[in-house]
Amino acid sequence: MAERLLTFSIFRYNPNTPEIKPYMQEYKLEEMPGMTLFVALNKIREEQDPSLMFDFVCRAAICGSCAMLVNGKPRLACKTLTKDLPSRITLLPLPVFKLIGDLSVDTGTWFRHMSLKTEAWIHTTREFDPRAREERMDNETALKIYEAERCIECGCCIAGCATANIREDFLGAAGINRVARFMLDPRDERSPQEYFEVVGTEEGAFGCVGLMACEDNCPMGLPLQMQLAYVRRKMAAAGLAARPQTRAC
Amino acid sequence: MSVYQTHTTDVLVIGAGLAGERTAIEAATHGLDVIILSLVPPRRSHSTAAQGGMQASLGNCAMGYGDNPDIHFEDTVKGSDWGCDQDVARLFANTAPIAVRQMAYWGVPWNRVVAGRKKLPDGREIEDLKEYEGLITARDFGGTAKWRTCYTSDGTGHTLQYTMDSIVIKMGITVHDRMEAIALIHDGERCYGAVARCLRTGQLHAYLARSTVIATGGYGRLYGVSTNAVINEGSGMFLALETGVVPLGNMEAVQFHPTGMVPVGILITEGARGDGGYLLDKNLHRFMPDYEPKKKELASRDVVSRRMIQHIRKGYGVESKWGPHLWLDIRHLGRKHIYTNLREIANICKNFAGIDPAEDLIPVRPTQHYSMGGVRTNIDGHAYGLKGLFAVGEAACWDLHGFNRLGGNSLAETIVAGMVVGKKVAEYTLGATLDCPLQLVNEHVRRQESRINDLISGRLGKENVYEIRREMENTLMEYVGIFRNGPDLQKAVDKLQELYRRSLKLGLRSSGKYASPELASALRLPGMIRLALCIAYGALNRTESRGSHAREDYPYRDDVNWLKRTLAYWPPGAELPVLKYEPVKITELPPGDRGYGESSAANAAKSGNHTQENKK
Amino acid sequence: MNTQEKLLTRNPRADMLVDLVELASGILLVGFLWTHMLFVAAILLGVTTFDRLSAFLDEYYLSYIGIPFILLVALVHIVVAGRRIPNKWKEQRIILRHSKMLGHTDTWIWVFQTITGMAILVLAGIHVWMVLTGWPIRAVTSAGRIQSFLWFYIILLLAGEYHAGFGLYRQFVKWGWINRHTIGAVLKTITVIIVALGAVTLWAFMRLGGAQ
Repeated sequence: MAERLLTFSIFRYNPNTPEIKPYMQEYKLEEMPGMTLFVALNKIREEQDPSLMFDFVCRAAICGSCAMLVNGKPRLACKTLTKDLPSRITLLPLPVFKLIGDLSVDTGTWFRHMSLKTEAWIHTTREFDPRAREERMDNETALKIYEAERCIECGCCIAGCATANIREDFLGAAGINRVARFMLDPRDERSPQEYFEVVGTEEGAFGCVGLMACEDNCPMGLPLQMQLAYVRRKMAAAGLAARPQTRAC
Repeated sequence: MSVYQTHTTDVLVIGAGLAGERTAIEAATHGLDVIILSLVPPRRSHSTAAQGGMQASLGNCAMGYGDNPDIHFEDTVKGSDWGCDQDVARLFANTAPIAVRQMAYWGVPWNRVVAGRKKLPDGREIEDLKEYEGLITARDFGGTAKWRTCYTSDGTGHTLQYTMDSIVIKMGITVHDRMEAIALIHDGERCYGAVARCLRTGQLHAYLARSTVIATGGYGRLYGVSTNAVINEGSGMFLALETGVVPLGNMEAVQFHPTGMVPVGILITEGARGDGGYLLDKNLHRFMPDYEPKKKELASRDVVSRRMIQHIRKGYGVESKWGPHLWLDIRHLGRKHIYTNLREIANICKNFAGIDPAEDLIPVRPTQHYSMGGVRTNIDGHAYGLKGLFAVGEAACWDLHGFNRLGGNSLAETIVAGMVVGKKVAEYTLGATLDCPLQLVNEHVRRQESRINDLISGRLGKENVYEIRREMENTLMEYVGIFRNGPDLQKAVDKLQELYRRSLKLGLRSSGKYASPELASALRLPGMIRLALCIAYGALNRTESRGSHAREDYPYRDDVNWLKRTLAYWPPGAELPVLKYEPVKITELPPGDRGYGESSAANAAKSGNHTQENKK
Repeated sequence: MNTQEKLLTRNPRADMLVDLVELASGILLVGFLWTHMLFVAAILLGVTTFDRLSAFLDEYYLSYIGIPFILLVALVHIVVAGRRIPNKWKEQRIILRHSKMLGHTDTWIWVFQTITGMAILVLAGIHVWMVLTGWPIRAVTSAGRIQSFLWFYIILLLAGEYHAGFGLYRQFVKWGWINRHTIGAVLKTITVIIVALGAVTLWAFMRLGGAQ
């Protein structure tokens, strides 16, 4: 197979120099066998333009750092092979997230904020006893929790979500899935009413309009539809079961 | 005039992987104010990439019955080839079960024991008893007498890191991500914090702290092909080395993981072999039992890696355009097992090699994986040479792993050491004052500023950072690999010295302004080459074979002359490290036969002679 | 974050209730639309059947209860479902750009859902006004309307059934009762059948009109 000459059209912008408006810059690169966007972007940086900003960490689709819009679709760049793309490749940073520069966006801050908002940690009144044996748990339950915990916070679901694109406060699939993870966990002692406080609004479960771009673009293949629906049903049940305390004085 | 932002805190932790976060949690639990600096958001740390598991002798699963810290200790010491400090290994083995249980309490969904009879891939029948059902189970890993590696399917590091970070968030510990420490602030006796460069804006910051903890992980990326994340450039190690007073321990001890996928070097977890995977050669022959009849594929990593290279050298490797490799075969584990317990492997194979491990063989080759060496500390994690400086995790040479780390002991180390060292950090910090002379801070920041200015202006030269870096990577790959010998190591040292000199004359091609990635690389490179020199020079001088350090010209372990640890110092202005040595602490288990590996085989041949005499 | 006004005025259940009302009103409207289609298709069984059915609905006041009720439900639906439609120009531009770039079927389907929704608001309004002013419903009057406004009814048919079919699909997706790919196929089939029925019905009315 003759190697193709690839044309990369890459978004350029540095928030530190707002006087230079965003523009698309083109780079040419000879394709190599097994070439991923990780390899391609590093080659461009090392050989053509050392100022180009992008993020990679694990380069093995584990850490979630390198999500970007590849020809319009949110993808992990590290596991995107150039052979699966046309010879003209457009790369844009993920929308929704704060832009750090070029293809680099601040997913970290967004996700930390989401964790704070959903209080994404085990809420328990028990104390840890270092001398005691661990609490028992059904293996099926453990696997179910892990299934939701597999999210790598890459932001593809957020970038692909129309609602998240226009509503800053929407938790998105990643956020709701995170809540599902704790709902499934018997160690978390939060009541349905307490969860309702967290996701029982349009910022959470009821903000989703069900477009499923999250599920269709999730690089981990998480069953997001079912997780979102699970939380929605739970929250509807919780909301109908008991009138949460109105906080009027 | 320097413009920089100053932050003051009790404890400064550099690195937000598992070790860094666990240390920070422990310090914060003692009421201290903690700031964590991280190159990336904590949940992107390389700790998340550890798929396999975490060793702790819970003894809950059928193949783990009867396990206890003594056996874990023994396995660890044997694995280290008697290169570790045994008081550290003992403390570690005793604490590991508590660490695993605490992580369970915090939320890790460990896989649990399911009672019943099971058949293993090799035909053995086992039975998990009802009384253990629901407790944390374990899988088999290399070099262990019992099944001891606790896991969550294929994402142990991921769940551990996410859980740990959830506690960091819950406790409100400050994390400054995209903030890179580029120098330690010290006066030759005490460490006062660090100078950092913001990877968003390029601005310099000074962090002043009563104690500073290095938790930056390993240096895998010094090698051209490594399983490590691209951020693993050994930064904390070279920051410590640069002080001139803090030594790095055992830098020549570099672990190669038997199964890095060819050609990209992405890790295929040891869980694949632990769960029953085989290594095959070009004739599809399972060759490991020929070399290691007892442990087969599950001898320690150094041994399996060497056996693989040995086998390839005999001409049994599979030829490919990326050089010879071998096959990993997990097909017989069945599609269901592969796509649940080893799903990450399936994904990696699909994404990066376009193969389905339930149907196809996986091309593998030993690949740089772990740094046993690092900032030398005492058992409290306190670095040698500077008061108020600590190191923990892979960045440290605590020294739990000696010359070879067991699979599953690195995740365990990050958390156990985080608990232990975090407590000691807290104790130290509570008794220390923050009386850093401002003059000293200014000086340190100014020195970094002038480095940056020199790189931008190209005043000292126009050397290309990426070219020199590639040459460094290739030098280590070629001459400081799995099998080593004097002439090659000498070549490596010579070449690295030349590269080091050139690295002091780097000039940028981009403007270097703001968050310039080229500037970040250029700031790191001289330090990285110093580490490379510590590795190569340390290896050249260690005229024996021990654990992962295998000298073709000195094939035997030499306990008479080399039962000691290398300490590499870098005096100001030097072009080579100064090597010193200290004895290894042996408290319980005198040097003996590992029970696997080349010397063990030789011993077996000598029928029952269990101590390896050196006849040099 | 709790602010003073949020603490004083917030009804924590409001969003959920609105969502449930959207679901209920949507299901009612889908039910109505499909029933309506079946009733109208009575023309295929002949003018007499059609007229008798209409008279029957009149006689037992079903029309007089049903029509206002459905209008009320529609009104509620417009308010609660309509709030999903981005109302700011900037948001609309973002959505359009987003949909174009993403090239994602379900997202496009939803964009058309909002467009058909607004189209139905106008077209159905006109339709209701025409029917009520030409009361009672008889095959002849209906045929007359369809003959005069064929394109209007074709568009209303397509928009209505599209909106109903995919609206129901969306609810199934959101509540997760059935796998979305299965339910998608089922609802697409139903929609195609209903649209075909509608087309045949329109054709029948056209012939009726022509024969007059």
